[in-house]
Amino acid sequence: MLRQIFIVSALNFRSLKGRFWQSMVIVVGLGATIGVLLSMMSMTVGLRAAYDRVGDPGRAIVVSKGADSEGGSSVSRDNAPIISDAPGVAKDVDGKPLADRQLNIGVPVLRTNGSRGYTTMRGFGPKGVAVRPEFHMVKGRMFQAGKRELMVGAGAQSMFRNMQIGDNVILPDGNWPIVGVFTTGDILDGQLVGDTETMLTAFHRTAYNSILVRLASRDSLDTFKKALTTNPALSVTVERHSDWYKKISGQSTRILAILAYVVGFVMAIGALFGCLNTMYAAVSTRAREIATLRALGYGAFPVAVSVILEAVVLSVAGALSGAAIAWLLNDGRQATWGVNIFHLSVPPAMVGLGVGWAIVVALLGGILPSIRAARRPVVEALRAT
Amino acid sequence: MKYIPLVWAAIMRKPTRAVLTLLSVMVAFTLFGLTIGMNATFAKFYEMAHNDRIWTQQRFGGASGMPKALAAQIANMPGVSQVSGMGFVGGYKGDPKNRVFIWMVDDQMGKVFNEWEITPQQWAKLRTDRQGILISRIQAGRWHLKPGDTFTMTSPGLKKADGTNTWTFHVLEVTNEISFATDGFMMGNYDYWDKSRVLADQGKVVQLFIKTANPDQTAALAQRIDASYANSATPLQSTTEKAALDISNSGLDFITIDREIALAGMFMVLFLTANGIAQAVRERFAEFATLKTIGFSDWGVIGLVFAEAAIPSILGAALGVGIAQIIASLVPRVGQGIGGFPMPRVTGDVVLYAMACAALVALISSALPALRLKRMDIATALSGRT
Repeated sequence: MLRQIFIVSALNFRSLKGRFWQSMVIVVGLGATIGVLLSMMSMTVGLRAAYDRVGDPGRAIVVSKGADSEGGSSVSRDNAPIISDAPGVAKDVDGKPLADRQLNIGVPVLRTNGSRGYTTMRGFGPKGVAVRPEFHMVKGRMFQAGKRELMVGAGAQSMFRNMQIGDNVILPDGNWPIVGVFTTGDILDGQLVGDTETMLTAFHRTAYNSILVRLASRDSLDTFKKALTTNPALSVTVERHSDWYKKISGQSTRILAILAYVVGFVMAIGALFGCLNTMYAAVSTRAREIATLRALGYGAFPVAVSVILEAVVLSVAGALSGAAIAWLLNDGRQATWGVNIFHLSVPPAMVGLGVGWAIVVALLGGILPSIRAARRPVVEALRAT
Repeated sequence: MKYIPLVWAAIMRKPTRAVLTLLSVMVAFTLFGLTIGMNATFAKFYEMAHNDRIWTQQRFGGASGMPKALAAQIANMPGVSQVSGMGFVGGYKGDPKNRVFIWMVDDQMGKVFNEWEITPQQWAKLRTDRQGILISRIQAGRWHLKPGDTFTMTSPGLKKADGTNTWTFHVLEVTNEISFATDGFMMGNYDYWDKSRVLADQGKVVQLFIKTANPDQTAALAQRIDASYANSATPLQSTTEKAALDISNSGLDFITIDREIALAGMFMVLFLTANGIAQAVRERFAEFATLKTIGFSDWGVIGLVFAEAAIPSILGAALGVGIAQIIASLVPRVGQGIGGFPMPRVTGDVVLYAMACAALVALISSALPALRLKRMDIATALSGRT
């Protein structure tokens, strides 16, 4: 049986050359479908990856009770030390807790394409860098505490105008020069960073937005959480940093993912009809050849399988070429949406998804023609012109 | 016209192929209708934006808002005709997943947005009832509310003077929708918002809407407002309503993405149609030779081939955009409760555009077969030695 399937399929593929353009309908159909699907998914995947990376499970974020964004949260100066000194927080080499008092302020920017947007200006406390081992200098120098200076993320520098070292950002108390460029490889790359206390004064703020701490170990979250939520002086929500960002990114990535799947699904239906068309045509072109095989004693099943196999191979070829195009066009490209800067991404898992879709389309598109091929009476097919 | 039966017979010679081609074209044009229709929606948004309005907020955000006194100051600037201030109650009803967002507007709102279909009586009701809200049909449907109902929600972010975080409203009237609120709206009374907040946060607004006296000066006025407050305690960020409702300011270039998706679909259809026609002509080469023999001109035969390509593609395009229209009207909104997403509008332009694309697909598809037919050697073709 397997041998028969192999022989019949080999015969099929050898005759593909004669049906080249017709077979290309499947390849192009699935190529377009998977190309579009993966191009759209590259936004979701890239955005999610940027958020996932920033959300270190070894960190916890403290916001005011019930807040669902850093901007909508405030933690008073009095409460900040209570939070930093709570049990479960890791200590730096100097014995001080690894806790950072963060500010989170929206700043209007001009994108390089001329459109207007906002980005986030983030205040780092003295432990801002120590809490974030992913923070690396790219160029220039660190901002100095107490000085009106800013650093710009590598992504923000390339996507916004006037973000070079030496450029000034106009804040309420005057010009803040950009003195350095940093990268974290995550969502912070699209942001500006300065000294929390100096920014507090400049913006006439009296409270921090959130406190970010490094946990003594991943398991100390419960200890930390318990200490804060049972303290009557505090009214805060504590979340593992990774869970916090999953929640935040969830909504925007979900919308993009739904759009990608809807568009991909509609295109897949179009490709399915194309696949059916081609396979019916292939079966009818090869009617006599199939009948000859059947007359020689080959079973109906190997014939049917060979038809489906052909559809699968063509579809997968299409999916792979579509994925290759999506990868070439998008992978690694920088994009912005709202306040986010991220890199579009077409990882192997997405290529796998594309191939999976293609196989489903091929099975659906191959099964009916294969039944027709296998069922056709031998004598009638041999007589047909 | 008299050749229609001839073309029809040619198409129906392989009914399976004809139907599958039609379905494939139809699906691609459904997608075309939805994506290009989406761009029509974006264009409509932009077009509906009034060029005599400015949206102003704090340049650097700020949790509690900016002084309400700014409204009066800006109203006195030359070129400004009306200013309205607004606060927000953002939160949820019951479960944090059920997001609610209520605009808390002052009594100038109706003057700044005078095109809204809210009657003077409805505005008057809102003004005299501190806890009243006007809600649009979409939101009324979402929360199953009717006039007289009470609506209670939780807003964890807002500090209230009474220490709680619940807000109670009662529904005054259900109103018509307004253009840019794709997810409907709920509108409450500014005074309720203001007086419920802790003392330190009172007397503030989150957003100002400014109506200008001269539409040509709107952009310049926006810049002038920002310049006047650049060195104040509350620097401002003013955007013309046109810019605020311009999709290209969202960062992602949705318009290009939509076009590219439509293009990918068209590429698929082109390949399919071209193949089908090439195959049909190949199969019936001898028949075309016969037609030529009995006196059909080159162009006559080519016309038949073009019609054979055009009928399924134009019919498919018509059905496809029709389905897109049905989908757009059946699914009122996606992403309800999270801002809503506007639905595509299958306008006359979109239909026209689709038809032009379908005709182009048919034209390109039949070009090569037509060339073959033009160059055919009738005797060879008739003998079947092609």
